[in-house]
Amino acid sequence: MPKGYLCLVLHGHLPFVRHPEHENFLEEDWLYEAITETYVPLLSVFQGLVNDGIDFRITMTLSPTLVSMLADPLLQGRYLKHINKSIELAQKEIERTKWQPEFKSLAQMYFDRFSHARDIFQKYNLNLVSAFKKFQDLGKLEIITCGATHGFFPLMDVCRDSVRAQVKVAANHYESVFGRRPRGIWLPECGYCPGHDEILREAGIRFFFTDSHGVLHGTPRPKYGVFAPVYCKGTGVAAFGRDLESSKQVWSSIEGYPGDYNYREFYRDVGFDLEFDYIKPYIHPDGVRINTGIKYYRITGSTNHKEPYVEQWARERAAEHAGNFMFNRQKQASYLNDLMGKPPVIVSPYDAELFGHWWYEGPMWLDFLFRKIACDQNEIGMITPSEYLELNPRNQVVTPSFSSWGYKGYSEMWLQGSNDWIYRHLHAASVRMSELARKNPGAQGLRLRALNQALRELLLAQSSDWAFILGTGTHTSYAVRRTKEHLLRFNRLYDELNSNAIDGNWLADIEYKDNLFPNIDYQVHQ
Amino acid sequence: MRILKKTKAALIKTISKAKSKLKLKPKKAKTPPVKAAKKRQQAKEASGTYETAIVNTKFSHSQEVYQAPARPQELPSSYNLDRMVLQVRDPRWLHTYWEVKEETFQGFKSRLGDDFFRAKRVLRVYDVTNIIFNGSNANRFFDIQINDFANSWYVDTAGPGRAWCVDLGLMLPDGRFITILRSNVVQTPLDSPSWITDEEWMVPDEIFARLYGMGFGLGKSSPVGGAWQERVKQGLFSSGLSSSPVKKAVKERSFWLKVDCELIVYGATEPDAQVTVQGMPIKLRPDGTFTLRYYLPDGRQVIPVKAKSADNVDERVITPIVTRETK
Repeated sequence: MPKGYLCLVLHGHLPFVRHPEHENFLEEDWLYEAITETYVPLLSVFQGLVNDGIDFRITMTLSPTLVSMLADPLLQGRYLKHINKSIELAQKEIERTKWQPEFKSLAQMYFDRFSHARDIFQKYNLNLVSAFKKFQDLGKLEIITCGATHGFFPLMDVCRDSVRAQVKVAANHYESVFGRRPRGIWLPECGYCPGHDEILREAGIRFFFTDSHGVLHGTPRPKYGVFAPVYCKGTGVAAFGRDLESSKQVWSSIEGYPGDYNYREFYRDVGFDLEFDYIKPYIHPDGVRINTGIKYYRITGSTNHKEPYVEQWARERAAEHAGNFMFNRQKQASYLNDLMGKPPVIVSPYDAELFGHWWYEGPMWLDFLFRKIACDQNEIGMITPSEYLELNPRNQVVTPSFSSWGYKGYSEMWLQGSNDWIYRHLHAASVRMSELARKNPGAQGLRLRALNQALRELLLAQSSDWAFILGTGTHTSYAVRRTKEHLLRFNRLYDELNSNAIDGNWLADIEYKDNLFPNIDYQVHQ
Repeated sequence: MRILKKTKAALIKTISKAKSKLKLKPKKAKTPPVKAAKKRQQAKEASGTYETAIVNTKFSHSQEVYQAPARPQELPSSYNLDRMVLQVRDPRWLHTYWEVKEETFQGFKSRLGDDFFRAKRVLRVYDVTNIIFNGSNANRFFDIQINDFANSWYVDTAGPGRAWCVDLGLMLPDGRFITILRSNVVQTPLDSPSWITDEEWMVPDEIFARLYGMGFGLGKSSPVGGAWQERVKQGLFSSGLSSSPVKKAVKERSFWLKVDCELIVYGATEPDAQVTVQGMPIKLRPDGTFTLRYYLPDGRQVIPVKAKSADNVDERVITPIVTRETK
């Protein structure tokens, strides 16, 4: 029996961005970049481990909006176009850098990676959801769900019908995609309010995560701190608290791995560096420079002077960092085991898209970590929350504290001067949605479609991503637009439903645009 | 008499309208000025963090330029409701927003007459911890005077782990308080561990202190009292990030110049000819033209371009020699 368990959680989420009405839509690139830089590299790591017979465990959120986009034929086709252009650019780069061997080998590296991404994408018939499902079915990966559109639940607490809709739509969507009910959920932004566990229980969800203070400030005092889950009082849904020591090692500015000078520099991209006419076909058609994903430099140091990236050096650092991470978990587990008298579970959650996209070497680091844990030691074991609960069914009953993993630990990131105006509209829409559901039981035909679309629009307006972007204060116009657009569509549907004057053409148009959750049932919003 | 009163009321209304017009931007003054400045500062810090910067990389490319014009429609300025909503921002701060129907105000105006216009708008904040609030049994309350145009406010309760309710009301000159709207009740979270322990799961304070500090990644001997504050100070949130040399380097502002050279080699031959450049075969366009583009480093490049006819009979070689010297 190991001295302790490591529960790695990657939270995979992107907001629903799909604009069939535009040929090129910049924000759709969020998905395309994440596929090439994060999802495919992660899947390749998993596949490599399986091929080599290395046992591993990892837990991943695939948010319902992300799953919907990955499974969407329009976006799949557009990704293929996108990756083909990336491959074409990498080819040109190999030629252009002919007299610069240090860059030529990097151009070749990107060419290989992009081609590999396309191969994997095609191997799974353009649908990466089935790839993730494969590893879940193999018992290596536990996929958990999330709020349907990543709404921040604590700021919906005054309209719990919307929290319920976020959870139920997500759980039903999960079931339709993965063939079973979700056992766990990543509460969007880790935002938990006492009482929301009741809604999770109704949906059959057995566990969720909180930030450290969610469990540590729970009542009564949690005996094992964050190193054992607690059962919520009254519902028995388990809450796993985040361990910050392991988080810090990956992300802290002082000790954090991704800032290593040998790692790749994110901010130097050929999309910005190269001559305009040459790069024009690979940036936005309006000529505004954007990231292409081809980045030639290493972090080098703390100034703007950058040296070319050396793959081998970065690889060696990733291996060292994986070893360091494992060593620290071993020490932590053994210390905690003495203190607790039982094996602790160390929960380390990270934003999935930061692996590979921001931290280029992140997937490689994970690969080394999995292999070392499996082969080089037996003090720590990897585990999923479901497995842990099966092994340890007896846990303390605690009411966790309201908390989130956002700036300062509560709601401030999503509730400040720049974004607080949205809540009076969102809450009014929630109240209206409940009213619609109550007044229109068992609707049919056009009314049924309008009611279901009203719920889709409400859910889309609730995405915490819009409030987050507004909160950061830069490039806010898209977030404003999306918030307003969905609320305006919702309000129009509300008016048309009440006056029994549904515009079928317009409804069909927004059904076509906001086409996620095909099996949604408006009656969950009550 | 009655007529007189009405006229006076109308007059005051006009004045207050004019006043509101004078205010170019009827700003929602949400926070008392000192707090507001502090809040702005905090917000600035928030958006300046490394964490935000990195999470933002997920949302790169979000450019103002591509904004397809949305329909010229705005969200409604009111929903014709009497509603006051209270939300928790953090263990200390609450946020409330409200909407009052015009006819509700009219009701108060006709009920209170002159007093309505002499009354001050006030938020009354009730501590309703552990009670079922009936409007008069609060543990304690405090008032915040607000302006007539405000429709939302941030409230500093300084009271973690307590239940709160807020009234929007009128403070009359004679000291009477009249409630216009009452909010929902909310509970602020604790900002430290609970003092309640559970007999079955007792743990000695010393061991709990170690687990508590470790949970925050602050080592084994952090005092329970300061651990949370320490975490907030270190900014260990979301992905646990604070500032980074990487980000700072990017933010560094200084004058700069960058110059690079590329070389374009182009030409044309018979479409079915075989062409090599520096010994490597290249592909011709269907019309027999070709263009090659290279980064040009310092030094001398000898670039023999050789074309051979399809029947292998004719051959032409042209060799540009290019030297770059950067001073």
